[in-house]
Amino acid sequence: MINLSLFAADPAETHHWLLPETAEIIYGGIASVVIIGALVKFALPQFKKAMAARTERIQKELDASQGDLAQAEADAAKIRQALGDISSEKARLMADAQAQADALLAEGRSRLTAEVADMEAKADADIAAASARGSDELRTEIGRLATVATDRVLASVLDDATQQSLVENFITKVGASR
Amino acid sequence: MSDARIDGYARALFEIARAEGTLDEVEDELFRFARSFESSDQLRNTLTDEMIPADKRQAVVESLLGGKATSTTTQLIGMVVGSGRGRDLPAIIDKLVQRASSSKQLEVALVRSAVALSADQQARLKAALSNATGKELNLKVVVDPSVLGGLVATVGDTVIDGSVRTRLDNVKSRL
Repeated sequence: MINLSLFAADPAETHHWLLPETAEIIYGGIASVVIIGALVKFALPQFKKAMAARTERIQKELDASQGDLAQAEADAAKIRQALGDISSEKARLMADAQAQADALLAEGRSRLTAEVADMEAKADADIAAASARGSDELRTEIGRLATVATDRVLASVLDDATQQSLVENFITKVGASR
Repeated sequence: MSDARIDGYARALFEIARAEGTLDEVEDELFRFARSFESSDQLRNTLTDEMIPADKRQAVVESLLGGKATSTTTQLIGMVVGSGRGRDLPAIIDKLVQRASSSKQLEVALVRSAVALSADQQARLKAALSNATGKELNLKVVVDPSVLGGLVATVGDTVIDGSVRTRLDNVKSRL
């Protein structure tokens, strides 16, 4: 009941107690206009400038991020290319190694074949030489034995009469030769 | 040994033999000894061995020829062997024979025969060779069993070969 009485109009007052005085409203309004105008004139440009700087900074950061992303993608591409190069290099090296191994194998086979051919030829030549040597030795031995046998046969055949006949025949032929 | 030294020895032997008046006999004996020297390894080795004293080598010569050859021949051979020139004895003697033949305007005819020839055969052979070569000859006959049969006569550069050995070698080479 007491509170209700507080809000009740005082009949002694010229205006409602809840509203300000007219002068206060006027001065207050003027002051508000002045303050708002000052704010618009001085604070708003600074605010806009700060906002623009912030926007620019954010844009720069976005651009930098974009650049980093592009760099990262480029690096990733390089790495992928390098991986590809390594694979191709590995394949090339393997191919080279295989080629060298094939060449060595072929050369070894060729050399082995040549050596075997040489050995066969040498063996054939040795066999032929040994055979010829054996034939020669046999021929020589036969000749030697034939000579010995012939000498012995002749020694038995060439008796004194035959010897004298040979001497006389020689003297006769030489004497008649002039 | 050099040719000059061989010639010197030959000339010395020749002069000694001629001075002794036995040139023909000594020449013939030396020639036969030279052929024996060539054909006998044992004789050649003994007479050329420097380890054997000279007087021992000369004693060997004396024992071999003593009574079988003239003393001049024995002494001449002993002198050559004793002076250490035994190795050149055949060459020295051959030079001496050439010199002796030349002194008589004769050419040496060396005949190798498988058997010994009689005096008659030698005379007829000498006449036949003289007739064939047109030269007067000093015949030297060597008995050489390697001839087998027949004769081989060498007069200077001319060789007349009628030996069985050569015929046999020819047949062998053809075979």
